[in-house]
Amino acid sequence: MDKALRYLGQALLYTLFFVPLAYITHEPELRHLEEGMAVLKVAVRHAGEVIGECKPIEGKGFGMRPADMARPEVCPRERSPLQLELRIDGKTLYRETVPAPGLHNDGVSSMHRRFNVPAGSHNIQLLMNDDVAVEGYNWQLDQDIQLQPAQVMVARFKEGFNLQ
Amino acid sequence: MKMLLKRGFNWLDSLFSKAFTPAWNPMYQLGALSFFYFWIVAVTGVYLFIFFETSISGAHDSMEYISVEQWYLGGIMRSFHRYASAAMGICATLHLVREYTMDRYSGVRWFSWVSGVPLLWLLFASAIGGYWLVWDIQAQYIAVMTAEWFDWLPIMVDPMASNFLNESTLSDRFFSLLVFLHIGIPLTLLLGMFIHIKRITGARTNPAKGLAAGTALAMLILSLWQPALSQAPANLDVAVTEVGLDWIFLNPYPLISRWGPGQTWAFLVGLSTLLTIVPWLPSKRLQQAPVAVVDPDNCNGCGWCLADCPYEAVSMKEHDYKKGHQQSVVDPNLCISCGICAGACPSSSPFRHVDELTTGISIPGFHIKELLSLTEKKLAELSTDAPRIMLYGCDHGSVTGELATDSIASISMPCTALVPPAFIDYVLRKDLAEGVMISGCCEGDCHYRLGNEWMDQSFAQERMPILRARVPRDKVRLRWLGVQGTKQLGREVAQFQAQLREDESLDVVPDIVPEIVEVSNG
Repeated sequence: MDKALRYLGQALLYTLFFVPLAYITHEPELRHLEEGMAVLKVAVRHAGEVIGECKPIEGKGFGMRPADMARPEVCPRERSPLQLELRIDGKTLYRETVPAPGLHNDGVSSMHRRFNVPAGSHNIQLLMNDDVAVEGYNWQLDQDIQLQPAQVMVARFKEGFNLQ
Repeated sequence: MKMLLKRGFNWLDSLFSKAFTPAWNPMYQLGALSFFYFWIVAVTGVYLFIFFETSISGAHDSMEYISVEQWYLGGIMRSFHRYASAAMGICATLHLVREYTMDRYSGVRWFSWVSGVPLLWLLFASAIGGYWLVWDIQAQYIAVMTAEWFDWLPIMVDPMASNFLNESTLSDRFFSLLVFLHIGIPLTLLLGMFIHIKRITGARTNPAKGLAAGTALAMLILSLWQPALSQAPANLDVAVTEVGLDWIFLNPYPLISRWGPGQTWAFLVGLSTLLTIVPWLPSKRLQQAPVAVVDPDNCNGCGWCLADCPYEAVSMKEHDYKKGHQQSVVDPNLCISCGICAGACPSSSPFRHVDELTTGISIPGFHIKELLSLTEKKLAELSTDAPRIMLYGCDHGSVTGELATDSIASISMPCTALVPPAFIDYVLRKDLAEGVMISGCCEGDCHYRLGNEWMDQSFAQERMPILRARVPRDKVRLRWLGVQGTKQLGREVAQFQAQLREDESLDVVPDIVPEIVEVSNG
C-alpha cells in the first residue's frame, strides 16, 4: 500500500479509537437522583447501655482483687444493641437492630442509611432504643420538615436526634 | 462465541496490518501499549501532583488552575493523564480478551493469565482514586457510592459513608489519604505488571517507536481538541442528580445503584474468580504435548536453546558426566512444547555423520528424526513434472494441509521455528525439492511469541543456527500470513512454483560461453 495512503489509514484508525474514548470518559450522563427527589441520610454512632449491673466482689474473691482496684466490684461489658426505626408521614421506611461490635459486644454501635424522599413537606419520626432493660423507644424525634429538590438532610444522634 | 471472536480479531489484525504494517500493528502490542500508557500516566501524574492541593477547597480549585490557567502545559498533561489511563483500560481489556480468544492462557501460560486478573482491580482502583481527587460532582458521586459499597462488607465497623454526610463531616486529611492511595495503588499495579511478565523471555514492554509516536500525537491532538476538564465542584449539602460518568472505569457504579452493594460484590468477585480459574476449565483447545527432553549424549552445552526458549523453560547445568561441560535442563512446569529449542539445536542437522539423526533437545511427539523421515517420505510421494515444493507450516498459522498437491508436500507442526535451517539446506542440496516454503502465524503475532522472529533472524544470518550462505535464497520463501492468510498463501505458493518453473526453463538453456579474448600487454 502506498505510504501516504497507509498514514491516512492510521489517522483514521487513531480517530476511530480516540474520539469514542474521549466521549465515553464523560458521556452519556447518568441520572442518579430522579427529579423532584431529595435525600435523607440517617447516621448514628452511639454506645448502647451496658447490659446488667456491677456486682460487688465478696468472699474469697475480695481478698484476691488487685491492691489498686478503686471499687471492689465486677462490671459486665456487653452493651445493648440499638433498635432503630424511621417513619416518614407515618409509614415505616426503616427498622433495624444494630448490635454492638466487638468480641464481647462492648463496642460503639454505628449505622448509616441513605433514603431518597420526594421533595416537599413531611413528618419525620426517628425512634431508638439503646437499653434492653427499657420497653419501647427511649429516644425519639418527631418533626415536620420541608425538603427542597436535591436537598441533603442529615439526621444524626448526639445526646438525642438532631437534623442538619 | 470463541470462533466469532477469533474471526473478529483476525479481521482487525488484517485491517491494522494494512494501515500500520505488521511491525506497528497495535493488535499485536496491546500489552506493550498498556505499559506505554502507564508510563504516560505516571509522568503526567508527577507533574499534576506538583500543583495539586490536598484540601477540600483546594482540590477542585487547583485542578481548575491546571486546566484553565495553565492549559498549554498543565491542561495537556491532565488530558494525557486521563486519556492515557482510559486507553490503558481499553488495551488491557482487549489484551485479556485476545489472549483468551487465541488460546494463550492455559498450560504453562496460566501464571501470566492469573497474575493479570488482580491487575484489572488495581487499574480500576487507580483510576477511581484519580477521579475522586478532583472533587467535582463526579467525585462526590464516587465518594458516596464507594463508601456505601464498602460499608456492606462485614469488616467495616464504622460506616465509611459517615465521612460524606454533608460538608461539615468532610476533612482535609481525607485528601491526604486519597493522594497516598493514588500513588500507592499505581505503584502496586506496576509491581504486579512486572510479576505478570516474569515468566516470559524478552517480554515486550515497549511498543514499536512509530506506534508510540503515533499514539502520542493522536493524544496531543485530542487533548487540544477535547481537554479533560472537571465538572461542577462537589457540594455534599446538595445531592448529585445527573453526572457525567467515565464509562470505562466507573461502570460498576450504575450496577451498585441498580443491584445494591451485595449483588455487585457477588458479581465482580464471581467474575474475577471465574477469570482466575479459566486456565483450568475444560475446553476444546489443543492439549499440550509432552515437554522437551534433553539428550545429554548429544547436548554440547552451546546454550542456543536457552537463548531461543520464549518461556524461560531452559537453563544450563553441569554436564551429567562430561567434566567441565554444560548441558541444558528443561523445567517441565515452564515448557510449552513449541519445539523452538529443537530447531535451535546445532545437533539437529541432517548432514551429521551419524547412523540415526539425534539431537540434544527435542519434543517427544515431534522428534527431529521423525520430521526428517516425514519430509523425505512426503517428498518421495510427489509425482509430477512441476517444480516440487516442501511447505512447512504451523498449527496456529495458515492451514498448509489444504495446499498439498502432487507437487507440494506439506507438514504442519506446533511452530515452524522447530525446522532447523539445516533442513532447508538438506532438502535443496539432496534435490528432494526445488523449493522450500515456510509459513506460520501472522508477522509479529507468533502463537509462541518468538518463532517468526527467530526464523527471520536465522535466515538473515543474524542468529544461530544460521541458514548457510550457500542456500540459494530464491528457492526459499518465508511467509507469515496467519490463519486468515491461507488463501493468500495458496496464491503465493502457486506464484513461487511458477517462478521455480521459470528458473528451471532458464537453467535448461545451453550456457553461452563467452568468447575469451586474450589481450596482449605488449
